[in-house]
Amino acid sequence: MVGKLIAASTAAVAALTISSAYTQRSALVLRQEQQDNYWPRYGTVASGRYSSGVWVASPDRQSYGTFRGGGPGVGK
Amino acid sequence: MQVATVNLKKSTIGALRVDVEASVPSNQWVTYEIQFKDKQGKVIASGIKQAWSESGTWSEEGESGYWSEADTQGGLDVRTNQDESAALILDVLEYSDTAGKEISAPVSFNVTVRSGVVDRRYLWAGLFGTGALSLLTFIASGSGKLVLRKKVDDSDVSDRADTLGGANNLVRARINIKTDEHTPRDLWVDLVVRDGNGETLYDQSHTVNLNISKTDKGTVTGGKGQLDVYFLLEPRSSYGFQVEVHPDASVDRTALTVQEKVRTRWPVQVTPLKST
Repeated sequence: MVGKLIAASTAAVAALTISSAYTQRSALVLRQEQQDNYWPRYGTVASGRYSSGVWVASPDRQSYGTFRGGGPGVGK
Repeated sequence: MQVATVNLKKSTIGALRVDVEASVPSNQWVTYEIQFKDKQGKVIASGIKQAWSESGTWSEEGESGYWSEADTQGGLDVRTNQDESAALILDVLEYSDTAGKEISAPVSFNVTVRSGVVDRRYLWAGLFGTGALSLLTFIASGSGKLVLRKKVDDSDVSDRADTLGGANNLVRARINIKTDEHTPRDLWVDLVVRDGNGETLYDQSHTVNLNISKTDKGTVTGGKGQLDVYFLLEPRSSYGFQVEVHPDASVDRTALTVQEKVRTRWPVQVTPLKST
């Protein structure tokens, strides 16, 4: 019984991790507001988020001098 | 600074991976951003990396040396729900020394872009998880059903199990012995198996090598030994087990454990016994 239970969970872990790896659920999805699955690589954090399909720089990002603007209402 | 134009394709497998390695001279900090811009020049995704490289010298108790640490690698994986082409841009946001003084010099980067890349971190996690579960299975699979366990602070132990054995039922008698500081290197264990009528079916002597434990100074503190004997007992009925350990002078404890429906991971020698 214990063996079957462990076998089932092993298969579940394997299926979950392989599907997660191949579908790249950790990647940043363009034009999608929900980025809950984003998992930064090498400490590279997303410096903005989507609002109505437009990438808006995060407050942290705006503090850097070379920021060139963007976001809703810009460039009209 | 535009690095390349990339074609993003909608795909269920993999992502577009940008790996960036900044060449940061010692004791300097570089904050850079990986950006994707659409055809109108609007940023559609970006990620910031604070890269640094520090080094110095150390001296302690008359020894000294050089240390250096760096974190310069950055990476961004993106996926898309529509085919599009985007400009990949690398932007230096801040470049300074460790004191915070700004540096105006070019920074060189090594950029790699690959498509259809799989996130291997999940696979490592999966390998770790399934590995742990395999270990658990390995431990769990050896156990059977306990039918008898008796421990005495002596060299002789015997007990009887009322229902035991039958066809296709591997029975294991395990004898654990603990000895004191006068332990010999090995012992003899006489194991006797009797059926319900008290008739002897098995009577054999086994040699058991002991694991001797010592203190750091090499003084012997005691020994431990284990003997496994496998049987097929037919019919399913009552069987008695009797254990005698020789020489008995140094034996502190003898434990008899009998389990049935045992599975072994390796082939073992089995003695079939039939009660008439």
